[in-house]
Amino acid sequence: MKKIHPQKNFVALTLAAVLVAGLISPLTFRVRAEEPKTTAPATTNSVTPSAVSPTASTSALHKKLTGAELYSIHCNRCHPERFPTERTAAQWKTIMLHMQVRAGIPGKQSRLILQYLQENSGR
Amino acid sequence: MIKSRSIFGLVAAGCALGLACPQPSRAVVSDEDFNALKTLVQQMNGKLQSLEQTNLQDQRVIQQLQQKLTETQRTAVEAQQNSIATAQAQAAAPRVPLDEATVNHNFQILGDAEIQYNKTDHQNGAFLLADFAPIFLYRGGENILFEAGFDFGLQNNSPNGGGYTTTVNLSFAQLDYVLNDYLTLCAGDLVLPLGTYSERSAGWLNKFPDNPLAVDLVPGTGVGAELRGALPLGETGKLLNYSIYGVNGPGSANGTGNAGALDLGGNVGITSGGSTANTHGNLVGGARVAFFTPFKPHYDLEVGLSGQSGEWDDAGKHLWSAGVLDAALHLGANFEAKGEYIISRYGSDDLGQIHQQGWFLQAGYKLAGLNLNLPALNNLELVARYDSMRDGLGTHTRRYTAGYIYYLTSALLFEGDYEIIRSSDPAQPTSQFILQMSYGF
Repeated sequence: MKKIHPQKNFVALTLAAVLVAGLISPLTFRVRAEEPKTTAPATTNSVTPSAVSPTASTSALHKKLTGAELYSIHCNRCHPERFPTERTAAQWKTIMLHMQVRAGIPGKQSRLILQYLQENSGR
Repeated sequence: MIKSRSIFGLVAAGCALGLACPQPSRAVVSDEDFNALKTLVQQMNGKLQSLEQTNLQDQRVIQQLQQKLTETQRTAVEAQQNSIATAQAQAAAPRVPLDEATVNHNFQILGDAEIQYNKTDHQNGAFLLADFAPIFLYRGGENILFEAGFDFGLQNNSPNGGGYTTTVNLSFAQLDYVLNDYLTLCAGDLVLPLGTYSERSAGWLNKFPDNPLAVDLVPGTGVGAELRGALPLGETGKLLNYSIYGVNGPGSANGTGNAGALDLGGNVGITSGGSTANTHGNLVGGARVAFFTPFKPHYDLEVGLSGQSGEWDDAGKHLWSAGVLDAALHLGANFEAKGEYIISRYGSDDLGQIHQQGWFLQAGYKLAGLNLNLPALNNLELVARYDSMRDGLGTHTRRYTAGYIYYLTSALLFEGDYEIIRSSDPAQPTSQFILQMSYGF
């Protein structure tokens, strides 16, 4: 008879639960998610980045993207969002050059993101 | 008779003359009055002299004031002229930047730091400085960036020696020159784009305190040159990412072609003897291509394929080749899943062709997505991972990991993981518990 590992089952169940929750959640809360959101930059070191991030329109991407939208699209791919007020305009310029290379962001999109970050930066 | 008339006439004329002539005034002034009057005149004379002196002094003061006024007026005129001259000079000179963002050069430090508590079965639990990894960025102008990352760590000295050793490793150091919006030339000790993990593995980026097992099958860095970039596909955010590179490639730890000598982390171009040489004859080439499509902000899918191939042993008889399929999915700001499948093949003198493979799948879900009015839960993310690796030398290891991330801020993470390890290698632990405080700066 095959030996059952309770701990392994627990981890497998956790993995399954996370996957299921992640897949179902966007559907379940779709109505709430499509409520209008602010485009104002969040405060520095916000604890719940996803809840207060400068998310742009959540409608499907059928129009030309703004810097704020590109910021939301690209930054969250790799790390919790960092907020414009965390850095000065000069620092953002250097960081965005780094991110353009590291994250593979086209130059034009990188400049739009930089403009958004600098306009809302910590000066 | 006539004589009397004459006398009478003379008398009458005398009377008439006496009446006609004014009588002489004759004031009567006493000595006392005269002295008083004299004193008064003397006092008035003194006052007059005093007023004259005062007048002279006032005249001098007025002259001095007039001189000062003249000097002041002259100074004012000179100042006005200088001001005009300065303004004209400033108008002709280059404008001084008001915003520091316009400065052409900038130095910046990013990075991360991690402190762990690790308890592995059959071993004592311990705190450890898992990593202090600053990244130095220097931007020179609009399209030149030098970036270098370091890893600092601590470890005990040998059992017979006291104290500890600070280890410092250069994680990467590369010069980036942005050729245009779609292509960048990189050179140096490069972070290799074999999959995405090595480029996104910093402690606060990774959702787990340790690396997936399978990433040890491919090198994280290599010394060489690379062309990389991204091409937008339309205006909706879709991208095609690409990179192609040439590096020294893996080497042999002892110069032989034996399977156990494969060294993915060496061959940096300078030998231990100081000579400049690749340990094998030819460079190694690699590339990655990936497709990224966002459905809307925070909803996206990225799929990439990468590979590298070239000689690895000193004799140049054997090839080492690897391929990586990577994918990442975001469904909202609260759910992320990603994984990689990695295979590698290399020839050896003693064991022939070695086949290695491994993969991992990990997912995280932020409870903020439940929209509960519980701040403590909103900051919590549940994570899970499965990873597996076959090293091609007889060891098969699987690992199951479940854990959490508590976001104290968006960049300060308190993580906890429990791992169950099943390995054909009896030396491997069977379970591990890790707590980690991670900060990205």
